[in-house]
Amino acid sequence: MQYKSQSVAYWYFAVAMTLFGLQLVFGLLSAAKYLGPDPLLYILPFDVTKVIHTNLLIVWVLTGFMGATYWMVPDESRTELHSTKLAYVQLVLWTLMGVTAVIGYLFRYGTGNKLLEQPLPHKIVIVICMLIFLYNISMTIKKSGRFTTTEGVLLLGLFSSAVLFLPALLHYENYTVSIFYRWWTIHLWVEGVWMMIMAAFMAYLLIRLSGADREVMEKWLYVIVGLVFIAGILGTAHHYYWVGVPSYWLPIGGFFSALEPAALVAMSIYAYGAIRRAGLGHPNKLALHWTIGSALFTLFGAGLLGLAHTWPSVNKWTHGTLITAMHGHAAFYGAYVMIVLAMITYAAPSLTRNRPESGSSLGYWAFWMQITGMFGMTLSFATAGIGQVYLERIMGMGYLDAQLKIQVHFLMLIATASIFTIGVALFIYDFFRYAPRFISDDEPQLNVVDARSNA
Amino acid sequence: MNNRQARMFAIAGTGLSVLIFLGLTLHSHSKFDELTNAENITPQVTHGKDVWHKYNCINCHTLFGEGAYYAPDLTKITQHRGAAYLQAYMRDPSKFYDENKHRRLMPKQNLSEEEITDLIAFLDWVSKVDNQGWPPRPILVTGGFIPGSDSVGAVASGEGTAAAAIRPVTAADDPRAQGEHVFRTATPACNACHSTAPGANMAGPTLAGIATRAAELVGSALYKGNATDVEGYIRESIIAPSNHLVAGDMYSANGASFMPIGYEETLTAEQLDNLVAYLATFK
Repeated sequence: MQYKSQSVAYWYFAVAMTLFGLQLVFGLLSAAKYLGPDPLLYILPFDVTKVIHTNLLIVWVLTGFMGATYWMVPDESRTELHSTKLAYVQLVLWTLMGVTAVIGYLFRYGTGNKLLEQPLPHKIVIVICMLIFLYNISMTIKKSGRFTTTEGVLLLGLFSSAVLFLPALLHYENYTVSIFYRWWTIHLWVEGVWMMIMAAFMAYLLIRLSGADREVMEKWLYVIVGLVFIAGILGTAHHYYWVGVPSYWLPIGGFFSALEPAALVAMSIYAYGAIRRAGLGHPNKLALHWTIGSALFTLFGAGLLGLAHTWPSVNKWTHGTLITAMHGHAAFYGAYVMIVLAMITYAAPSLTRNRPESGSSLGYWAFWMQITGMFGMTLSFATAGIGQVYLERIMGMGYLDAQLKIQVHFLMLIATASIFTIGVALFIYDFFRYAPRFISDDEPQLNVVDARSNA
Repeated sequence: MNNRQARMFAIAGTGLSVLIFLGLTLHSHSKFDELTNAENITPQVTHGKDVWHKYNCINCHTLFGEGAYYAPDLTKITQHRGAAYLQAYMRDPSKFYDENKHRRLMPKQNLSEEEITDLIAFLDWVSKVDNQGWPPRPILVTGGFIPGSDSVGAVASGEGTAAAAIRPVTAADDPRAQGEHVFRTATPACNACHSTAPGANMAGPTLAGIATRAAELVGSALYKGNATDVEGYIRESIIAPSNHLVAGDMYSANGASFMPIGYEETLTAEQLDNLVAYLATFK
């Protein structure tokens, strides 16, 4: 840790890890309900566990993004943060928002609008937190006068995320119109500006971990961002299938979402190329695992599995089945969970005391068990979804009867989700078992810091 | 490509995409009202939408295929189930489905009668939105077209009665074959609620063995209708389903059958004859 104020990142990561653990509790509960009968039918029905599962994901991933940004910006701009106090105020406000939202969901206090269930007061707090965050980061960069491309991409991604949240605050009388604008937030986040954030973190990590040339990495970062937006913005159309909008969105959605993997292929080549040409053997090999893993898992989950059901004539049959759950789990995990875990793994040796820079064997177990578990979960959703499409959509078997026929895949889902959960538990344990390094600590800095500041 | 060119590519590509996207958005706005029959969004429908949100329906069900995947899609539900059925269902789902059999059950939501009525109005509005004919085949809640899945019709898709999936018939065909065609293509389709497989009761009772049951019933003390023979009983069941009620809370309430009425108007006399002839074959 070169700048003392970077230590705020620890507390962001600590909150993120706690909520990640909680997210999995509700995920496993939801999965168990697929087997049924449900003893909690009138205490915690599926709609409640599911809404908490997805909302915790969004909250903790954003917490991770914020923590990682507070870690990265001082490094890139070579300065202390504008205000650590503001960063802590923001974290407290943000965590309170997240926790009260979850408690509210237990009592069905929410908007019932998929993924945007946060009640209006909570949405307003989200906006306030975003503003504090952007202000703090902008002031830090302004103060230093050093503004790198990587940072610029990250900042633009964060700023656009805040702007794209605004349509979610409005009310629409027509259900179809409300669907239309809901995707401006959700789709343009996950397949647009969040990809920018992810690409910026990835560029940062690759430059630091592999010693790749900044000039080259940042040039390709532009290309990747360009590809993401060319495909992603008009690719929004794949959410406009079958919802009551004009038909021209069908071919547009098919064509542009078929282009979406291009950016992800570029990102994988980019990551692989960087380690091949690596001029620097950074000791934190575990962080490199997470970084390269993120690029490859994104290509698999977001790219290939998205492509698998994005063409209108295919989607006509798969729309609204477990095929979507297959794609959703693998894509979100690869692109956003893994990049946050990569940033945490990279920063943790500096943020905590006595942690070996190269990572522990526990850390590697966490990595491989998560990868294995999530891959298995993806296959379970895929096989269940394929079965559902054929039985229910093509053969015309009733929904409830078809679900009974695919029970075995739900057993597989729970088995592989358990492996995944153990991997996550190990990661969380590995994170918390070393005490944080406080600002007052006057320890000698690690040698690698020198290598970092050269980059 | 140098750094500056790469930046230009990103900025120009993004800018162009944003422009096209905004242009199409503007154009879509000029079409929304027509595609969604916005003139039919009454205060009742709007309230129904609020009910849909208030009870978090979308985190189990899907609507337009969007939502969670734990419960059936409801896009076309009002075309598969009559209002009376849906009303009775939402008062207490456990009267219709057995959690031990299907391993899932919708928890009772304690909706007010007004909430139920308005929710149905909202779902009915949804079912009429022009959404490119999705789903391509009806998504059933339970039961199924099996056996007979080879000829599942594209009934709810608006693709018309000549969909390729339905075995075509001509006037030269046997009346019972023509009747089978009516069974799958009438609006609402008979097979959306009735199977012809023994024991496979869907929203309506199975029609397997209907001729045998009718023969026993007509003339017995249990029979409440006006028919005097099997064909007459089947015809009466189609055009006046409440004349004689089949026992069961899931089929009727307050002396009225949940089966939709109006087939007398929507079917021609010949189609009705053919349908009766077809159903009378289920001994």
